[in-house]
Amino acid sequence: MTIDIFWRIPTHGEPSSHRSRKPWRGDWFPGNDNLTKPGLSGGEDGTSYIDYLAEIARAAEISGFQGGLIPSFPSTDEPWVISAFLARETKTFRFMIPFQPGFLNPVVAARKTASLQRATGGRALYNIITGGGGPQQLWWGDSVAHDDRYARTTEFLDVVRGVWNGGPFSYQGKFYQVEDAGLPDPLSAEEFPEIYFSGSSDAALASASKHADYYLSWLEPFDALRDKFNRVKERTDVLGRKIQCAVRVDIVARPTEEEAWEEIRRGFDNIDPAALARFQGTGERSESVGAARQRDFRPTTINSYKDLIIEPNVWSGFSLLRGGQTQGIVGSYEQVAERLDDLVRLGADAFILASTPHLEEAYRVGEEVLPLVRGRPSGSAVLRAVG
Amino acid sequence: MTIEFIWQLPTSGDGRYGDAGQTRRGERTASSRPPFTEGVSDPRGDRFNFLDHLHQIARAADLAGFDGIQIQNDLEGDESWIVAGYLARSSRRLKLLTEFEASRGSAVYAAKNAVSFQRFTGGRFAWQISQGGDAALRRRHGDYAADSERLPRIGEFVEVARGVLTQSPFSFKGQFFEVLDGGFNGPLANHPVPLIYLSGNTPEALRLSARSADVHILDAAPAEELKASVATLQGLAAVQGRRIAFGLRIDVLARETEDEAVHDAQRFLAQSGRAVGSTDPVVGPNLWAGFATAQTGAAASLVGSYGQVAERLTKYADIGISSFVLAAIPHFEEAYRIGEQVLPVVRSRIATQLSKAA
Ligand SMILES: Cc1cc2nc3c(=O)[nH]c(=O)nc-3n(C[C@H](O)[C@H](O)[C@H](O)COP(=O)(O)O)c2cc1C
Repeated sequence: MTIDIFWRIPTHGEPSSHRSRKPWRGDWFPGNDNLTKPGLSGGEDGTSYIDYLAEIARAAEISGFQGGLIPSFPSTDEPWVISAFLARETKTFRFMIPFQPGFLNPVVAARKTASLQRATGGRALYNIITGGGGPQQLWWGDSVAHDDRYARTTEFLDVVRGVWNGGPFSYQGKFYQVEDAGLPDPLSAEEFPEIYFSGSSDAALASASKHADYYLSWLEPFDALRDKFNRVKERTDVLGRKIQCAVRVDIVARPTEEEAWEEIRRGFDNIDPAALARFQGTGERSESVGAARQRDFRPTTINSYKDLIIEPNVWSGFSLLRGGQTQGIVGSYEQVAERLDDLVRLGADAFILASTPHLEEAYRVGEEVLPLVRGRPSGSAVLRAVG
Repeated sequence: MTIEFIWQLPTSGDGRYGDAGQTRRGERTASSRPPFTEGVSDPRGDRFNFLDHLHQIARAADLAGFDGIQIQNDLEGDESWIVAGYLARSSRRLKLLTEFEASRGSAVYAAKNAVSFQRFTGGRFAWQISQGGDAALRRRHGDYAADSERLPRIGEFVEVARGVLTQSPFSFKGQFFEVLDGGFNGPLANHPVPLIYLSGNTPEALRLSARSADVHILDAAPAEELKASVATLQGLAAVQGRRIAFGLRIDVLARETEDEAVHDAQRFLAQSGRAVGSTDPVVGPNLWAGFATAQTGAAASLVGSYGQVAERLTKYADIGISSFVLAAIPHFEEAYRIGEQVLPVVRSRIATQLSKAA
């Protein structure tokens, strides 16, 4: 199968470059209140942040991305809402919606999804997340424990699949029950959305292997990622299913490698020392195995941005420049494309790329990097990477 | 008191005639016969579906001067929150009164989604929380709550949603929902809580509305009868130190003359196989009960000339109704008719009365 490449929608604003946090697009950054340009302000000029997100979605689709991941966290706008709002204003953009199954009744979720499929011509897909636990989980109003949450995720997907084609479907689970359920016609004629699934714990892998089409991971050091993908594939093989793998990668791609690193250097030099100290600490409390893995892969003594280069073209400080994941790829257009092809060789079937600012960089990456990625031509064999 | 007119959006289909052979304009399913003969080419293919037509109904309501749309929670149709978002950017002023049940999931998650709605629409999102169908129907939709738990669950849902939308940190532990140190910060803080529309006629429902509703929607009945309900509920609200507004869910069949309206009403009943039998459907001045379609869901419909219908609506305003949730089939054409022929008359009559009173 050929490789699918997605972009990302910044759901809590973004600075206009990796170099500094100002000026800030969206209304998240204090001190930015008097900006009244479309999409940059809180909307006193009649525009709001959705106007800016609409531009990014259109830039991504016109530049050749499949669509985009629309992250959901306590501080962000919400992906279901964004997807419905932008349905009529985009043509090919696929909306990758992260959500925690525990927050929705699965029958309502099925109807919501089918309606979004109808509104978009089949462009909805799931990123099933199960929550990092800790105080944040209770903030969301959820007190179910880590491994039980994954059991709930499995049940949720059992029910959504069960009702999808019209039923009648009955189910008696620990978390969900339904009796003679089924989507009404014509909602029941829609394609089931592709499922991207993230979570690094054993409980996550068990749930993913049953339901996921794509197992989704943040970028990790390449060897670690290869092992992780192999583990997932072994577990699904046992069930007689096939699963694909996807990687979420931040990138900084420039005409030359020097320019790319210069971008990182400037960004690093602008980091608040307190943030750097926190970064070198243990991070915020959560039960997330995936987040712990990210922390484990980074050095503990950091004097220069160079200390965070953990393998060629891989920099482990992206979360310092803007919130989010840690590892990302830095280099010339050719190098970034080569590293992505390396990831294809070790098992990646899809990518979610991102770079700041997401609007202009969608064009840059679409025009300069994507055409250089060889990917995997249709029909070529997928070799299981060994060791 | 400002009056608002809200037009209903039929999320599962619409009918032109009383047989209410539900159709979904724009929708082409695999099994449906091609609408044209083989001799005529059809450029549409399967590029449209009913959502495109819902979009036109919403645009009609916007252009014809309605203040909002009511997005029905019809379990046989499209999901109301998706429809609300799908239409939001195509309407400039419309309040998006979105109907759903408290069984939909986490109240915090609903509130969080509401924040994005409010940010993106300038505060036009409103909630109509309904109790849902009977127990068997609810089980089909994954809801195993007992009948007696439905109202308390709506109460908790509203309390938690309001709590996290207006306070940070906010904690709550109830029978159905909980949250610890919740609430929104930064640009997600301080957005208007969606206005809450509730309904129901039981004493429990009235008590819940007194505590939790911004607007209580009454079922259509003669104005004289509703007067008592308004007084009772306003009394209950006063005990809570609150005032609430009142809505009316009523259908309208308005024509240039009363004769035409009655003629169409009779034909409508005949087409729907509910020809006027032994019981007279007319239960009040220009008010026909049991006449609305199952899909519009109203208890009764006004039938009369434009002037008569406007007059009746003004009467309801006189007894304290300020939110009119109106419907007529077909919803698209009728949105223009009612918007052009009836609403201006009601608005100017109310304005005249107000200026006389002043
Ligand atoms: C690419 C990727 C995207 C994610 N996006 C979100 C998100 O938008 N919201 C969220 O709450 N968690 C998100 N997560 C977090 C995980 O799905 C998961 O909840 C967390 O890693 C805890 O699971 P674990 O302990 O099994 O690793 C994401 C994870 C990955 C790998």
